[in-house]
Parts: sequence; C-alpha cells; structure tokens
Amino acid sequence: MHLFGVLFQLAWRNLWRNHRRTIIMLGAIGVGVWAMIFMTALTRGMVDQMVTDSIGILPGHVQIHNPDYLDDPSISNRISYTDTELRQKFESAGFESWASRVRVPAIVTSERDSRGVTLLGVDPVAEKDISFFDYAEVEGRFLSDSGDKGIVIGGKLADKLETGLGKRIVIMSQDPDNDIADRGFRIVGLYSANTSAVEEAYAYIGKSTAQAMLGIGDTSTEVVFLGTEYRNVEPVYEAVAERVDERVSVQRWYEIDTYLGTMLGVMDGFVLVWVIVIFLALSFGLVNTLVMAVFERVREIGLMLALGMKPGSILGQIIIESMLLLTLGLATGNLLAWATIMPLRDGIDISIVGEGMEMWGASSMLYPKLYLGDMVLASVVVLLLGFLASLSPAWRASRYEPVEAITKA
Amino acid sequence: MRKQHLAALCLLVLSATATAAERDAKSIVRDAIDHWRGLSSYTEMTMVIHRPDWERSMTMSAWTKGEDHSLVRVLEPKKDRGNGTLTDKKSMWSYSPKVNRVIKVPSSMMGQSWMGSDFSNKDVARSDEIVDEYAHSVLGVELVDGVTVYEIESIPNEEAAVVWGREVLRIREDHVVLDHAFFDQDDELVKTLTTLEIATMGGRTIAQRQRMIKSDDAEEWTEIVVNKVDYDVDIADSLFTRSNLRNPRD
Repeated sequence: MHLFGVLFQLAWRNLWRNHRRTIIMLGAIGVGVWAMIFMTALTRGMVDQMVTDSIGILPGHVQIHNPDYLDDPSISNRISYTDTELRQKFESAGFESWASRVRVPAIVTSERDSRGVTLLGVDPVAEKDISFFDYAEVEGRFLSDSGDKGIVIGGKLADKLETGLGKRIVIMSQDPDNDIADRGFRIVGLYSANTSAVEEAYAYIGKSTAQAMLGIGDTSTEVVFLGTEYRNVEPVYEAVAERVDERVSVQRWYEIDTYLGTMLGVMDGFVLVWVIVIFLALSFGLVNTLVMAVFERVREIGLMLALGMKPGSILGQIIIESMLLLTLGLATGNLLAWATIMPLRDGIDISIVGEGMEMWGASSMLYPKLYLGDMVLASVVVLLLGFLASLSPAWRASRYEPVEAITKA
Repeated sequence: MRKQHLAALCLLVLSATATAAERDAKSIVRDAIDHWRGLSSYTEMTMVIHRPDWERSMTMSAWTKGEDHSLVRVLEPKKDRGNGTLTDKKSMWSYSPKVNRVIKVPSSMMGQSWMGSDFSNKDVARSDEIVDEYAHSVLGVELVDGVTVYEIESIPNEEAAVVWGREVLRIREDHVVLDHAFFDQDDELVKTLTTLEIATMGGRTIAQRQRMIKSDDAEEWTEIVVNKVDYDVDIADSLFTRSNLRNPRD
C-alpha cells in the first residue's frame, strides 16, 4: 500500500512535469469522450422516440389478429369473435386499456386527387388512451362515438388531397366478397402527428360506421391492448393469451413491427461500436504521449532501476500515469457531455433536415436521452482499452537495462 | 284564424310544388340517361384522347343492357384490339389479350383513368348513381333555338360516394344533355362534359360528339364520337359474362 502511494505520487508529479502536453491530451480525451456520450444520447433519444411513436401508431403493446391477417391484411381475415364475445372476454380483465378496431386498406378520393390510406374504424371512447394524438388537439373535433358519420384525417393528407375541414371525401375499400364498398364522408377533424408520413397514412372513422360500410356485422380485424411500459409487455401478453383460443394469434409489439424490435437491439451494439471507434482514434494520441514520456525519462528510469526499484513498479508507475490521464479526461468529457445535453433536454429543432429524417420515421424534434448506463459503458471501455494500450510503453520502460539507460545520451 | 289557414295552405302548396319540381328535375335526369342508353343498345364509337403534345384515338364497340350491364371492346388501333371492359352493377372487369387475363378492377383503381382517357373507371362503371344519390332541382328553363333547355343542379347526398360539390346539367326537352359541369366543394368548376354535335342516329336524337375538358387545362381533353348506334336491340345476357369478355362470341 505504501508502495502504491509512492508510485501514485510519482505518477501524478510526472503527469504535470510537461503540463502543456498533458493538457492537450486531456483536451483530446475530453472531446473524444464527449463525442461518444453526446452522439449516443442523440441516437438514443431518436430511437426512443421512434419506438414510442410507433407503438402509439401500431398501436398498443399487444395485439390479437386472425392468424392469417398478418400475411394478408384483408377484410376477409377478421377475428372470429364478435364484439359481444370480445367484451365478455376482456372487459373485466383489468387491462390498462383495450380496444377492438377495423383496420383495412382503402382509397380516399377528393375532387383533385386520390391516395391510399389505412382506414381505421375505431371506438373513440375505448381508444382514448391508446391513440397517439390527443383528441383535444384535433383541429375541428375527433369522432364522438362509434357510430359517428364523419371522418378524421391527418392535416398533411388534407393538404395533399387539396381538401379541408368540413368538406366531403370518398372512401373506397373492399368488402369480404371483393366487391367495392364505398361511401362519402365529411371531414370533421384533422389530426397532427410527429411525422407527415403518419399524417398521410391513417384515416379514422367510427367503428360501427366502418362495419356497416364493409358489411361485416359486428366483427373486427384487430384488438389492441396497452400495458404500462413498452419494455415489459409480458404480463399483458400472458393475460391476453390465457383468455383466447387458437382461433386468433396474439403478438407483442416487437413481433408485429420487427423492424422496430430489431432496431432497439441494434442500438445497444451500435453504441459499443461507436465508443470503440472513437477510442481507437484516441489511443494513438495516448500511446504516443506515453511513449514520449518514457523516452524523455530513460536516464531517470535507469537510475531508479539502478537504485533498486523493481521493474514491476516502473510498469505500475507508467500505467498509473496513463490511468490518471484517462480518468481526468473521462471526467472532463462526461461533465462536458452532461453540460451540453442538459440545456437541450427540451428538444433540438432539426426541421431543416426534418423531411429526410421523416423518411425513416423520426420526427423533426430531437430529444437527447442521457442514460447513466451509456456513460458508464463509455468510461469502462475507455479505461479498459486505455490500460491495454499503455501496457506496451510501460512494459518497454520496465525492461530497460539500468546501465545502458543511465549512459544513454 | 283564417289567416293562419291561408298561410298553412300556402305553405302546403309551396312544399308540394317544391317536391313536384324536385321529382321533375329527377325525372328529367333519369329520362336523359334512359334516352341515351335505351333498354339496350349497341354503339360504335371513337374516343380521341388529346394532350398538348400528343393525341390518339381508339375505336370501340359497346353494348349495354338495362341499368347494370355494359361491355366495351376496342377495335382499333390494332395493338389495343380486343382490350375490353365489362361492368356489372358496381363491379368492373378488364381484359387484355396480351396478358390473356380477366382482371377484376379493384376498388383502389376505380379512381384511375379508363384506357388513358379523362374518364375514370368509376365514370364508366356507374352511370345511374346520379339519379338516386343526388338531390336534383331545376335552376332555370331557357329557350335555345326554339328548344326548351332545363338547367338542373344535382347535389350529392351526404353519404354518396361522390367527391363533387355539385353538378350542373343542361338537358334539352328531347332528353339530349348539352353539358354536364362538375364543381368542387368550393364551387369551382373542375371539368365539363360538353356536347359538340347533335345528330339523329338509331332513331333518336342524341349527342353525337361529346368532349370532356378539365377547366384548368383546355389542352387536355377526351372526345367521344358516336359513329353508329342501334337502340333496343336484342342482346343475350350471355354477352355480359367474363368468359365472353375473354373469348368474344359475337
């Protein structure tokens, strides 16, 4: 312990002998670590938001469908339970929120244009907590009940169709016999979403209205359930699974949107890769600094060896020096990252490049997410790899032949 | 007391005339459609599609029977010969000899152009909906070249699968439609089907040449010229079948 104290003191003093070089190196490590954490926080924020948004649109954490529906989402593949049966099964089961809906592809036509949309026949009361937008924020109004005769579409879709609130549009879809089912609807509300792709994709009508238009009695195409947390959907999944038989299939959200599920897994790997890449760049600077420090002190090291210091202590001394440098750098970097992310917590407006971001489902506001885990990961990786990188110069220093080292010019 | 009676009577008469006028307008429209189509008909026509930088024309024969059945087959140009469209109520099938398949036109394609023209598949598949899914009223009556012309406004019902705000038809007393204008819901004219020539053919006075023009681009239009028409001919039901669409037996 006493030895460590001495070595630590030596290392600390050596570190500040060439303080300019040390400060430059600290700066380099600081900026590197800041970049690791800051970029990670940005990406994390983006992915987090994508997941939450997408679950809002999916929607819900667990869904049930007809087993054939996922392969062929047509109106023929409906859930074989009627609305009454569904209510009997799930009403008293104590789910956070659940709703059955009719979801079919449809064509919406205005005087000027027509577009493909996903038509959702929903029960507005049951959907209140599931919907990804707040009913109160809908321009105009949201559907009042399941039998509402109006339609609610996204603001962007209204722009594309050159129509607007209070005007009529025509919805065309297919009934189970492959015949055309169509009807005129008056736009009663325009909702807004984070991305315009979403606003263009979904049109809401009352569920009973949808059932009447499509001639499907009181059946639905999907039932959605909401749990408390998207990272833990097992309890909901099990509760649903034990209430249904094999005529329907039950899926967790990441089984329905596999892209999103995979995305979440890839993110963790990506963070590690990113940290390592930055460190590799840093390590050249680090090793160079250490090599220089050793090179300058060849005679001194030789003298210490000649006076009886063990090679191991020389090795330790250099490694401690390197660790001190890295720890200080890490502290700077982490503080810097924290200090830059905190003011940005309320979101960064990236609407300048927003259109490009929207193409892969991210919104035009970016909320950086600083996770303690990511900071720890970056620090541990840097210390571990830094230790490995400094082994080589330290090893060389400890292997000097005292006489040769002292007599070196 | 008597005044009230009088007022009530007036109201009754007014509303009665209103419904009579409404029925009148509706029957004018219905008569015009029936006149154009007959109980059954066989037509040979040329369709000219005009665009600013090109123009093409197709010759076709068409059969109709009753309200629901129609069959259209392309005769010329040669490369399109045999292309056909069959409608039955709201459904529509199309056939092309090149792919040798009868395809049911899905709802997603009903809004698209029919054979590249300014008519949509929907326009072709449904001719009758204007009678029942609209509220009709007579806007005015005028005398043109000694013939009475009714100007009729047709407003689609709330739940009708129609995007227009209103349509205005000018129909002569002999059931010839002079023009048919489509207005959007801001009451802006979107397109007009105008009759350019009227002739007596197949024993009836009909619009011989009609042109559909978009109001924002006069250089884009589609014209339909009737070359020959026979009304109330005997057509077997078997003509309007998918197998006949594919393998003509006429």
